Amino acid sequence: MPVIKWMFAVALLMFVASPATHAEEAYLNYKTYCMQCHGMHGKGDGVNVPAMNILPRDHSDHDYMMKRTNSEIYKVIKFGGPAINKSVKMPSWGDTFTEEELRELVGHIRRLCCEKELIRGVNFK
Amino acid sequence: MKRLLLLSFLIVMVSPALASAGEDGVKILNERCAYCHDLKGPAPQTIRQLWKRDAPDLFYAGDKYRREWLVAWMQKPVRVRPAGVNYLRAINSTPTHLKKTKKGRKYDVLWGKYLKPLQHEELSQPEAEAVADVLMGLTQHYDLTASEHFDASKKVTLDQGELLIDKVYGCESCHQIEPGYGGYTGSELYTAGKRLQPEFMLSYIRRPKNWDPKIWMPNLHVKPADLQKIVNYLILLSKEDYNASH
Repeated sequence: MPVIKWMFAVALLMFVASPATHAEEAYLNYKTYCMQCHGMHGKGDGVNVPAMNILPRDHSDHDYMMKRTNSEIYKVIKFGGPAINKSVKMPSWGDTFTEEELRELVGHIRRLCCEKELIRGVNFK
Repeated sequence: MKRLLLLSFLIVMVSPALASAGEDGVKILNERCAYCHDLKGPAPQTIRQLWKRDAPDLFYAGDKYRREWLVAWMQKPVRVRPAGVNYLRAINSTPTHLKKTKKGRKYDVLWGKYLKPLQHEELSQPEAEAVADVLMGLTQHYDLTASEHFDASKKVTLDQGELLIDKVYGCESCHQIEPGYGGYTGSELYTAGKRLQPEFMLSYIRRPKNWDPKIWMPNLHVKPADLQKIVNYLILLSKEDYNASH
Protein backbone atom coordinates (compact mmCIF):
# COMPACT_ATOMS: atom_id res chain seq x y z
CA MET A 1 0.00 0.00 0.00
CA PRO A 2 2.75 2.55 0.82
CA VAL A 3 4.28 1.74 -2.58
CA ILE A 4 1.06 2.75 -4.33
CA LYS A 5 0.91 5.93 -2.30
CA TRP A 6 4.53 6.65 -3.18
CA MET A 7 3.87 6.10 -6.89
CA PHE A 8 0.81 8.30 -6.71
CA ALA A 9 2.86 11.08 -5.09
CA VAL A 10 5.56 10.86 -7.79
CA ALA A 11 2.95 10.96 -10.56
CA LEU A 12 1.31 13.98 -8.95
CA LEU A 13 4.64 15.73 -8.59
CA MET A 14 5.45 15.12 -12.27
CA PHE A 15 2.05 16.43 -13.29
CA VAL A 16 2.51 19.61 -11.26
CA ALA A 17 6.22 20.25 -11.76
CA SER A 18 6.52 19.64 -15.50
CA PRO A 19 4.44 22.60 -16.77
CA ALA A 20 6.07 24.82 -14.15
CA THR A 21 9.54 23.89 -15.47
CA HIS A 22 8.43 24.60 -19.03
CA ALA A 23 7.01 27.95 -17.96
CA GLU A 24 10.28 28.84 -16.26
CA GLU A 25 12.33 27.93 -19.35
CA ALA A 26 10.01 30.00 -21.55
CA TYR A 27 10.36 32.91 -19.14
CA LEU A 28 14.16 32.62 -19.26
CA ASN A 29 14.09 32.57 -23.05
CA TYR A 30 11.78 35.57 -23.14
CA LYS A 31 14.01 37.41 -20.71
CA THR A 32 17.18 36.67 -22.65
CA TYR A 33 16.11 37.20 -26.25
CA CYS A 34 12.84 39.18 -26.34
CA MET A 35 13.33 41.58 -23.44
CA GLN A 36 15.90 43.75 -25.23
CA CYS A 37 13.10 45.11 -27.46
CA HIS A 38 9.77 44.03 -25.95
CA GLY A 39 10.78 45.15 -22.46
CA MET A 40 11.13 43.62 -19.02
CA HIS A 41 7.38 43.30 -18.62
CA GLY A 42 6.57 42.70 -22.30
CA LYS A 43 5.03 46.13 -22.74
CA GLY A 44 6.99 46.96 -25.91
CA ASP A 45 9.28 49.28 -23.97
CA GLY A 46 12.66 47.55 -24.21
CA VAL A 47 15.99 49.27 -23.76
CA ASN A 48 16.62 49.37 -27.53
CA VAL A 49 13.31 51.03 -28.38
CA PRO A 50 14.45 54.69 -28.43
CA ALA A 51 16.65 53.78 -31.44
CA MET A 52 13.78 52.27 -33.42
CA ASN A 53 11.54 53.88 -35.98
CA ILE A 54 8.98 51.08 -35.58
CA LEU A 55 7.86 50.18 -32.09
CA PRO A 56 7.86 46.57 -30.86
CA ARG A 57 4.53 44.97 -29.98
CA ASP A 58 3.16 45.47 -26.49
CA HIS A 59 2.50 41.87 -25.45
CA SER A 60 0.26 43.01 -22.62
CA ASP A 61 -2.07 44.74 -25.10
CA HIS A 62 -5.01 42.41 -24.56
CA ASP A 63 -7.26 43.77 -27.31
CA TYR A 64 -4.63 43.55 -30.05
CA MET A 65 -3.21 40.21 -28.97
CA MET A 66 -6.70 38.64 -28.89
CA LYS A 67 -6.90 39.34 -32.63
CA ARG A 68 -3.77 37.26 -33.28
CA THR A 69 -3.82 33.47 -33.42
CA ASN A 70 -1.22 31.24 -31.77
CA SER A 71 -0.02 30.09 -35.19
CA GLU A 72 0.63 33.71 -36.20
CA ILE A 73 2.67 34.31 -33.03
CA TYR A 74 4.59 31.08 -33.65
CA LYS A 75 5.23 32.13 -37.25
CA VAL A 76 6.48 35.61 -36.38
CA ILE A 77 8.93 34.27 -33.79
CA LYS A 78 10.23 31.55 -36.06
CA PHE A 79 10.38 33.41 -39.39
CA GLY A 80 10.41 37.08 -38.35
CA GLY A 81 8.13 40.07 -38.93
CA PRO A 82 7.88 39.85 -42.74
CA ALA A 83 6.27 36.38 -42.38
CA ILE A 84 3.06 38.08 -41.20
CA ASN A 85 3.54 41.35 -43.13
CA LYS A 86 5.22 43.11 -40.23
CA SER A 87 8.57 44.88 -39.90
CA VAL A 88 12.02 43.37 -40.49
CA LYS A 89 12.90 44.80 -37.09
CA MET A 90 11.38 41.61 -35.68
CA PRO A 91 14.10 39.09 -36.63
CA SER A 92 13.64 35.38 -37.25
CA TRP A 93 14.52 33.27 -34.21
CA GLY A 94 14.03 29.89 -35.89
CA ASP A 95 17.73 29.09 -35.66
CA THR A 96 17.90 30.01 -31.97
CA PHE A 97 14.96 28.06 -30.52
CA THR A 98 13.92 24.44 -30.78
CA GLU A 99 10.34 23.62 -31.80
CA GLU A 100 9.49 22.94 -28.18
CA GLU A 101 10.96 26.25 -27.03
CA LEU A 102 9.02 28.09 -29.73
CA ARG A 103 5.71 26.59 -28.56
CA GLU A 104 6.54 27.38 -24.94
CA LEU A 105 7.31 30.98 -25.89
CA VAL A 106 3.92 31.28 -27.59
CA GLY A 107 2.40 30.04 -24.34
CA HIS A 108 4.39 32.59 -22.35
CA ILE A 109 3.23 35.45 -24.57
CA ARG A 110 -0.35 34.26 -24.16
CA ARG A 111 0.11 34.37 -20.39
CA LEU A 112 1.29 38.00 -20.71
CA CYS A 113 -1.73 39.14 -22.67
CA CYS A 114 -4.63 36.84 -22.07
CA GLU A 115 -4.44 35.01 -18.76
CA LYS A 116 -8.19 35.12 -18.16
CA GLU A 117 -8.92 33.58 -21.56
CA LEU A 118 -6.31 30.88 -20.88
CA ILE A 119 -8.10 29.96 -17.66
CA ARG A 120 -11.44 29.94 -19.48
CA GLY A 121 -9.90 27.56 -22.04
CA VAL A 122 -10.30 29.78 -25.13
CA ASN A 123 -9.03 28.14 -28.32
CA PHE A 124 -6.40 30.50 -29.76
CA LYS A 125 -5.88 28.25 -32.84
CA MET B 1 84.22 35.56 -38.86
CA LYS B 2 83.17 38.84 -37.26
CA ARG B 3 79.78 38.57 -38.93
CA LEU B 4 79.34 35.04 -37.63
CA LEU B 5 80.24 36.17 -34.14
CA LEU B 6 77.86 39.11 -34.36
CA LEU B 7 75.07 36.82 -35.61
CA SER B 8 75.62 34.26 -32.87
CA PHE B 9 75.71 37.10 -30.31
CA LEU B 10 72.40 38.44 -31.63
CA ILE B 11 70.80 34.99 -31.54
CA VAL B 12 71.94 34.43 -27.98
CA MET B 13 70.66 37.85 -26.88
CA VAL B 14 67.38 38.02 -28.81
CA SER B 15 66.00 34.48 -28.60
CA PRO B 16 65.56 34.45 -24.78
CA ALA B 17 63.90 37.86 -25.08
CA LEU B 18 61.42 36.45 -27.62
CA ALA B 19 60.81 33.37 -25.55
CA SER B 20 60.27 35.43 -22.43
CA ALA B 21 57.83 37.71 -24.32
CA GLY B 22 55.69 34.65 -25.06
CA GLU B 23 55.99 33.41 -21.49
CA ASP B 24 55.15 36.87 -20.18
CA GLY B 25 52.04 36.96 -22.36
CA VAL B 26 50.82 33.60 -21.03
CA LYS B 27 51.63 34.67 -17.47
CA ILE B 28 49.74 37.97 -17.80
CA LEU B 29 46.78 36.21 -19.39
CA ASN B 30 46.60 33.60 -16.66
CA GLU B 31 47.15 35.98 -13.76
CA ARG B 32 45.24 39.06 -14.85
CA CYS B 33 42.76 38.05 -17.57
CA ALA B 34 41.58 34.49 -16.94
CA TYR B 35 39.58 35.59 -13.90
CA CYS B 36 36.92 37.14 -16.14
CA HIS B 37 37.71 35.91 -19.69
CA ASP B 38 37.29 32.32 -20.83
CA LEU B 39 40.57 31.27 -22.44
CA LYS B 40 39.78 27.59 -22.89
CA GLY B 41 36.18 27.26 -24.16
CA PRO B 42 33.66 26.00 -24.95
CA ALA B 43 31.19 28.92 -25.12
CA PRO B 44 28.16 28.85 -22.77
CA GLN B 45 25.80 26.03 -23.71
CA THR B 46 22.79 27.08 -21.62
CA ILE B 47 21.14 30.38 -20.79
CA ARG B 48 22.18 30.10 -17.15
CA GLN B 49 25.82 29.68 -18.18
CA LEU B 50 25.44 32.63 -20.55
CA TRP B 51 24.28 34.88 -17.74
CA LYS B 52 27.37 34.03 -15.72
CA ARG B 53 29.71 35.34 -18.41
CA ASP B 54 31.63 38.40 -17.19
CA ALA B 55 33.71 39.24 -20.24
CA PRO B 56 34.03 38.22 -23.90
CA ASP B 57 35.35 34.72 -24.56
CA LEU B 58 38.95 34.81 -25.73
CA PHE B 59 39.53 31.19 -26.66
CA TYR B 60 39.03 32.09 -30.33
CA ALA B 61 40.62 35.56 -30.12
CA GLY B 62 43.06 34.68 -32.91
CA ASP B 63 40.15 33.96 -35.25
CA LYS B 64 38.29 37.09 -34.24
CA TYR B 65 40.39 40.17 -33.57
CA ARG B 66 42.87 42.22 -35.53
CA ARG B 67 46.19 42.23 -33.71
CA GLU B 68 46.84 45.97 -34.07
CA TRP B 69 43.45 46.76 -32.50
CA LEU B 70 44.11 44.36 -29.62
CA VAL B 71 47.47 45.99 -28.86
CA ALA B 72 46.01 49.51 -28.92
CA TRP B 73 42.86 48.55 -26.94
CA MET B 74 44.68 46.75 -24.16
CA GLN B 75 46.69 49.91 -23.50
CA LYS B 76 43.60 52.11 -23.46
CA PRO B 77 40.49 49.98 -22.91
CA VAL B 78 37.09 51.52 -23.67
CA ARG B 79 33.60 50.02 -23.71
CA VAL B 80 32.68 48.25 -26.95
CA ARG B 81 29.16 47.15 -26.00
CA PRO B 82 27.05 50.06 -24.71
CA ALA B 83 25.03 47.77 -22.42
CA GLY B 84 27.99 45.68 -21.35
CA VAL B 85 28.85 42.09 -22.19
CA ASN B 86 25.86 40.85 -20.22
CA TYR B 87 23.06 43.30 -20.86
CA LEU B 88 20.73 41.50 -18.48
CA ARG B 89 22.76 42.84 -15.57
CA ALA B 90 22.65 46.42 -16.78
CA ILE B 91 18.99 46.74 -17.68
CA ASN B 92 16.30 48.10 -15.39
CA SER B 93 12.65 49.14 -15.51
CA THR B 94 12.00 52.83 -15.96
CA PRO B 95 12.68 54.61 -12.65
CA THR B 96 9.51 56.00 -11.06
CA HIS B 97 10.54 59.64 -11.43
CA LEU B 98 11.00 59.17 -15.18
CA LYS B 99 7.68 57.48 -15.80
CA LYS B 100 6.01 60.56 -17.22
CA THR B 101 8.09 61.93 -20.06
CA LYS B 102 7.11 64.79 -22.34
CA LYS B 103 6.24 62.37 -25.10
CA GLY B 104 4.30 60.20 -22.69
CA ARG B 105 6.43 57.13 -23.36
CA LYS B 106 8.76 55.20 -21.10
CA TYR B 107 11.39 52.57 -21.76
CA ASP B 108 13.61 50.19 -19.90
CA VAL B 109 16.89 51.87 -19.13
CA LEU B 110 20.49 50.99 -18.50
CA TRP B 111 21.60 51.77 -14.95
CA GLY B 112 21.99 55.53 -15.16
CA LYS B 113 22.15 57.04 -18.60
CA TYR B 114 25.11 54.88 -19.50
CA LEU B 115 26.95 52.22 -17.58
CA LYS B 116 29.83 53.14 -15.34
CA PRO B 117 33.14 53.60 -17.21
CA LEU B 118 34.65 50.26 -18.12
CA GLN B 119 36.94 48.86 -15.45
CA HIS B 120 39.62 46.84 -17.21
CA GLU B 121 43.29 46.08 -16.77
CA GLU B 122 45.54 48.56 -18.60
CA LEU B 123 48.72 47.08 -20.02
CA SER B 124 51.95 48.75 -21.06
CA GLN B 125 52.94 48.49 -24.71
CA PRO B 126 55.42 45.58 -24.28
CA GLU B 127 52.84 43.74 -22.15
CA ALA B 128 50.09 44.38 -24.71
CA GLU B 129 52.33 43.14 -27.52
CA ALA B 130 53.19 39.98 -25.58
CA VAL B 131 49.55 39.27 -24.71
CA ALA B 132 48.41 39.99 -28.28
CA ASP B 133 50.96 37.45 -29.55
CA VAL B 134 49.50 34.78 -27.30
CA LEU B 135 45.89 35.75 -28.08
CA MET B 136 46.49 35.55 -31.82
CA GLY B 137 47.52 31.95 -31.27
CA LEU B 138 44.14 31.05 -29.73
CA THR B 139 42.33 29.76 -32.79
CA GLN B 140 39.84 27.10 -31.71
CA HIS B 141 37.39 28.09 -34.46
CA TYR B 142 39.90 28.25 -37.29
CA ASP B 143 37.69 25.87 -39.29
CA LEU B 144 34.88 28.46 -39.34
CA THR B 145 36.97 31.36 -40.64
CA ALA B 146 39.03 29.21 -43.03
CA SER B 147 35.91 28.47 -45.09
CA GLU B 148 35.10 32.19 -45.52
CA HIS B 149 36.47 34.32 -48.35
CA PHE B 150 36.24 38.07 -48.06
CA ASP B 151 35.59 39.82 -51.39
CA ALA B 152 36.86 43.41 -51.13
CA SER B 153 35.53 44.18 -54.61
CA LYS B 154 31.88 44.20 -53.41
CA LYS B 155 32.14 47.83 -52.40
CA VAL B 156 29.20 49.88 -51.14
CA THR B 157 28.76 53.51 -50.20
CA LEU B 158 27.96 54.51 -46.62
CA ASP B 159 24.34 55.19 -47.61
CA GLN B 160 23.90 51.82 -49.30
CA GLY B 161 25.44 50.09 -46.31
CA GLU B 162 23.21 51.92 -43.86
CA LEU B 163 20.20 50.92 -45.94
CA LEU B 164 21.21 47.27 -45.65
CA ILE B 165 21.93 47.50 -41.92
CA ASP B 166 18.82 49.44 -41.00
CA LYS B 167 16.03 48.81 -43.52
CA VAL B 168 16.81 45.40 -44.98
CA TYR B 169 18.11 43.45 -41.98
CA GLY B 170 17.27 45.70 -39.03
CA CYS B 171 20.67 45.35 -37.30
CA GLU B 172 20.48 48.93 -36.05
CA SER B 173 17.80 47.97 -33.52
CA CYS B 174 20.56 46.50 -31.35
CA HIS B 175 23.81 47.89 -32.81
CA GLN B 176 25.06 51.47 -33.07
CA ILE B 177 26.39 52.68 -36.43
CA GLU B 178 27.74 55.86 -34.88
CA PRO B 179 28.04 56.93 -31.25
CA GLY B 180 24.54 57.21 -29.77
CA TYR B 181 22.80 56.19 -32.99
CA GLY B 182 21.30 52.71 -32.70
CA GLY B 183 20.47 50.12 -30.03
CA TYR B 184 22.41 49.28 -26.91
CA THR B 185 22.49 45.52 -26.53
CA GLY B 186 24.85 44.72 -29.40
CA SER B 187 28.47 45.71 -29.85
CA GLU B 188 29.17 49.01 -31.63
CA LEU B 189 29.41 48.59 -35.38
CA TYR B 190 31.37 51.74 -36.17
CA THR B 191 34.56 50.18 -34.80
CA ALA B 192 33.89 46.63 -36.01
CA GLY B 193 35.99 47.03 -39.17
CA LYS B 194 39.05 48.03 -37.13
CA ARG B 195 38.40 45.49 -34.41
CA LEU B 196 37.48 42.30 -36.24
CA GLN B 197 38.86 40.18 -39.03
CA PRO B 198 36.65 40.23 -42.18
CA GLU B 199 36.38 36.43 -42.24
CA PHE B 200 35.15 36.44 -38.65
CA MET B 201 32.49 39.03 -39.46
CA LEU B 202 31.34 36.96 -42.45
CA SER B 203 31.13 33.78 -40.42
CA TYR B 204 29.54 35.36 -37.34
CA ILE B 205 26.82 37.20 -39.24
CA ARG B 206 26.15 34.08 -41.32
CA ARG B 207 25.37 32.07 -38.19
CA PRO B 208 26.15 33.53 -34.74
CA LYS B 209 25.19 30.24 -33.12
CA ASN B 210 28.27 28.54 -34.57
CA TRP B 211 30.43 30.80 -32.40
CA ASP B 212 28.23 31.33 -29.38
CA PRO B 213 25.34 28.84 -29.14
CA LYS B 214 23.13 30.86 -26.81
CA ILE B 215 23.92 34.44 -27.85
CA TRP B 216 21.04 36.90 -28.32
CA MET B 217 22.00 37.76 -31.88
CA PRO B 218 19.62 35.99 -34.27
CA ASN B 219 20.51 34.30 -37.53
CA LEU B 220 19.07 36.75 -40.06
CA HIS B 221 19.71 34.44 -43.03
CA VAL B 222 21.66 37.20 -44.80
CA LYS B 223 22.08 36.56 -48.52
CA PRO B 224 25.72 35.75 -49.46
CA ALA B 225 26.03 38.84 -51.71
CA ASP B 226 24.66 41.10 -48.97
CA LEU B 227 27.01 39.51 -46.46
CA GLN B 228 30.03 40.66 -48.47
CA LYS B 229 28.48 44.13 -48.86
CA ILE B 230 27.81 44.42 -45.11
CA VAL B 231 31.40 43.51 -44.21
CA ASN B 232 32.73 45.96 -46.81
CA TYR B 233 30.43 48.60 -45.32
CA LEU B 234 31.64 47.91 -41.78
CA ILE B 235 35.25 48.30 -42.88
CA LEU B 236 34.37 51.56 -44.68
CA LEU B 237 32.40 52.76 -41.65
CA SER B 238 35.32 52.16 -39.30
CA LYS B 239 37.42 54.64 -41.30
CA GLU B 240 34.99 57.49 -40.52
CA ASP B 241 36.15 60.04 -37.97
CA TYR B 242 33.27 60.46 -35.53
CA ASN B 243 35.11 62.91 -33.34
CA ALA B 244 35.11 65.35 -36.26
CA SER B 245 31.31 65.57 -36.35
CA HIS B 246 30.62 65.44 -32.59
